[in-house]
Amino acid sequence: MSRPAFSPEGVTLGVCLVALGVLWTLSNLGRVEILPVVRTWWPLSLALWGVLELAELWIRRSSGRS
Amino acid sequence: MSSQPLDPHSPPPALPPAAGPYVRLPKSPGLAAFLSLFPGLGQVYNGQIARAFVFFFAWVGSIYLTSTGHEFPFAFMIPFVYLYNLIDAWKGANAANTRFLGGRTEPEEDAGVESPVWGASLALFGVLILFNNLGWLDLDRLARWWPLLLIAVGAYFVYASVQQKKKAGETENEPPRL
Repeated sequence: MSRPAFSPEGVTLGVCLVALGVLWTLSNLGRVEILPVVRTWWPLSLALWGVLELAELWIRRSSGRS
Repeated sequence: MSSQPLDPHSPPPALPPAAGPYVRLPKSPGLAAFLSLFPGLGQVYNGQIARAFVFFFAWVGSIYLTSTGHEFPFAFMIPFVYLYNLIDAWKGANAANTRFLGGRTEPEEDAGVESPVWGASLALFGVLILFNNLGWLDLDRLARWWPLLLIAVGAYFVYASVQQKKKAGETENEPPRL
């Protein structure tokens, strides 16, 4: 089995933490309300994770072919 | 009891085979599973930090969403996530030990990783919930069709096991390599 190109879980977690940090900062500055935004948009993390899993699989398959 | 005289020309008696050097495995599967009684902690012990976060938030999120009136499907997800987290911690520790000893991980893990079904399901699930949250789709209206999900999962398992059987048959029929 070839090595994975990157860790989809790790990238998703990193992006989510960055997004959460940005939102929290904006919330502390009084620009947005964090809870409604997170409640609405949290499934985007699942979608991102799924897409990254597919991308990782595609990269690994194409590098295995070449 | 008769004692035989020692022949100075005979070879010395064979020694018993020496035991291999003691190798301390880096992870204890039992400890990993025990720590995972608190979801994610076993994965932290295994060094799988991202997985730990995923299990922890999946568990907490399922409890939160069940308590806010989304019993379906999140009430089913609570025990599923919890038990899967225990098994995953156990398997993760075993896989780490296998890698430490220079071996391969289980072949079924490879098969799972090679399939696009996991990624596609995650993406689809995320998009469906997101559309529901944005008001573009009403999942409550689709709730009566949820048993179709069971049919799809069952059909996938049948398909996967038939494919696995076919592959095993092909490997058996291959001529031996010289």
